[in-house]
Amino acid sequence: MPTIAGFDFPRQRHYDAVNHFWARHDDESNLVSIGIDRLGLQALGELAYMALPAVGSRIARGDAMGTLEAAKMTTELVAPLSGVVIERNEALLRDPSAVNIDPYGAGWLVAVEPADWSGESGQLVSGPALDEWVAAEVDRYRVEGWID
Amino acid sequence: MNDQVWRLLIDDEVTASFGLSADETLARRVGRGASPPTLRLYSYRSHCALVGRFQHLEQELHLDFCGQHGIAVNRRPTGGGAIIMGADQLGVALTVPGRERHAYGGARQLMARFSAGLSKALDHLGIDAPFRRRNDLEVGGRKIAGLGIYRDRSGGLLFHASLLVDLDVRLMMQVLRIPLAKIADKDIASVAARTRTVRSILGDDMSFDSVRDEVAEGYANAFGVELESAGWSGSEREAIAALERSKYDTREWIFQRTEVPDLVGAARVKTPGGLLEVRATLAGRQLKAVYLSGDFFVPEAAVADLEGSLRWHSSTPEAIRATLTPVYERWAEDLEALPLETLVDSVQRAAKQAQGPIEPESAPEPAAGVASDPYGCFVTPGTPHA
Repeated sequence: MPTIAGFDFPRQRHYDAVNHFWARHDDESNLVSIGIDRLGLQALGELAYMALPAVGSRIARGDAMGTLEAAKMTTELVAPLSGVVIERNEALLRDPSAVNIDPYGAGWLVAVEPADWSGESGQLVSGPALDEWVAAEVDRYRVEGWID
Repeated sequence: MNDQVWRLLIDDEVTASFGLSADETLARRVGRGASPPTLRLYSYRSHCALVGRFQHLEQELHLDFCGQHGIAVNRRPTGGGAIIMGADQLGVALTVPGRERHAYGGARQLMARFSAGLSKALDHLGIDAPFRRRNDLEVGGRKIAGLGIYRDRSGGLLFHASLLVDLDVRLMMQVLRIPLAKIADKDIASVAARTRTVRSILGDDMSFDSVRDEVAEGYANAFGVELESAGWSGSEREAIAALERSKYDTREWIFQRTEVPDLVGAARVKTPGGLLEVRATLAGRQLKAVYLSGDFFVPEAAVADLEGSLRWHSSTPEAIRATLTPVYERWAEDLEALPLETLVDSVQRAAKQAQGPIEPESAPEPAAGVASDPYGCFVTPGTPHA
């Protein structure tokens, strides 16, 4: 997988600039898969536990949609977009480390029917803006000491 | 209050549900700017048992004993393991606004940063307890304070610590499920040897309040802030009560279960120094704790150091080896009879045995001639192994 600043960030996705989620829209089904990007995971460490929203529940951009625990830190998962949860990755609930192993594949968190993809995707980073954002984030993470 | 002034809030004998609700409420309000940054130093009504965010109460606590003895049980918003709290354990809850765009902020760096006030306080008391590992403060490899962090959706951060001013080890072993066959005096001594308390170092006449005063000063100095004593506001009390009702007083919160399996495995191996038994408890793939026992001589402090290094730790051999290497450097002479690779391999085998079938397994029967007590002691050289 091609990398940006040494980290894999697939280009066909949108990224939450604050909370380091990725979002991938499927044009055919109109569903959006959501996961955590590689840099976000680097700061978190190995995931030990996870709680995800129930299928059928509504999530709203900026609101909590679950919780995870890594290295005795628990953090609420802040939804990158709004919609209804159509599917959640049940396997992760039994083994959250799958997110660390394959964050863009088997480590997806939920699939959502978006309420306003065209509007909310504009608030995420994608396309030509990706390189500059990733490079800046990698620099920031290094300065903070979260990555080597 | 400006950025350089924090509120100092003192609470004593709070209930479990109030204490936890207060901490989460503060994290949310501080994150939104509705409450000032707050250092809360408090004690719970003796006693309560608090599990970490995702633990199974039934696996971690002797619920029958708790019920019979009026020990409240509850669940923290922060991660980590089960603890008992009461009049001799100082609760530290530091709530500060998270910095913008620091959604995840490395846990280890945050723990180091926020525990600095505690380390400074203990240092001022003459106790050397730097943050060395990922999740506890230790004195000579033995835990004196447990740490945890919760990040709220508002961005507010809650740093939790439980500082052992003193500890009733017998009671702790009756409340918490520790892999011990029985609560015998030697087992109590062995568990006690794996923790440190302020009074075990400084003497029984060290008062709780003077420790608390030192911690307050430690945080003021470590962060360069002024502390102003103040109590709860009316709106804070209302918010705390509401969260108690909706969350911390509910069975749904307290007794929830996670699908990550709790697993137990064990491995035995003969070493140049004698028989080694490793018992590992895991949450899925992650080591929650490792317990070492056997029939050879190693200082309890070295054992505590080894065990402490592997709490809430990856179970991969590479990660275990990387973490244990500096421990072996610290205790080079004392651990000669227990080669590093033997221990790495044994922990691996215990973890694999736990993870093999999906269901948790019981430990294998002890070999003939080996005490059935799985927590048999390492003892210091010169004293006979019990």
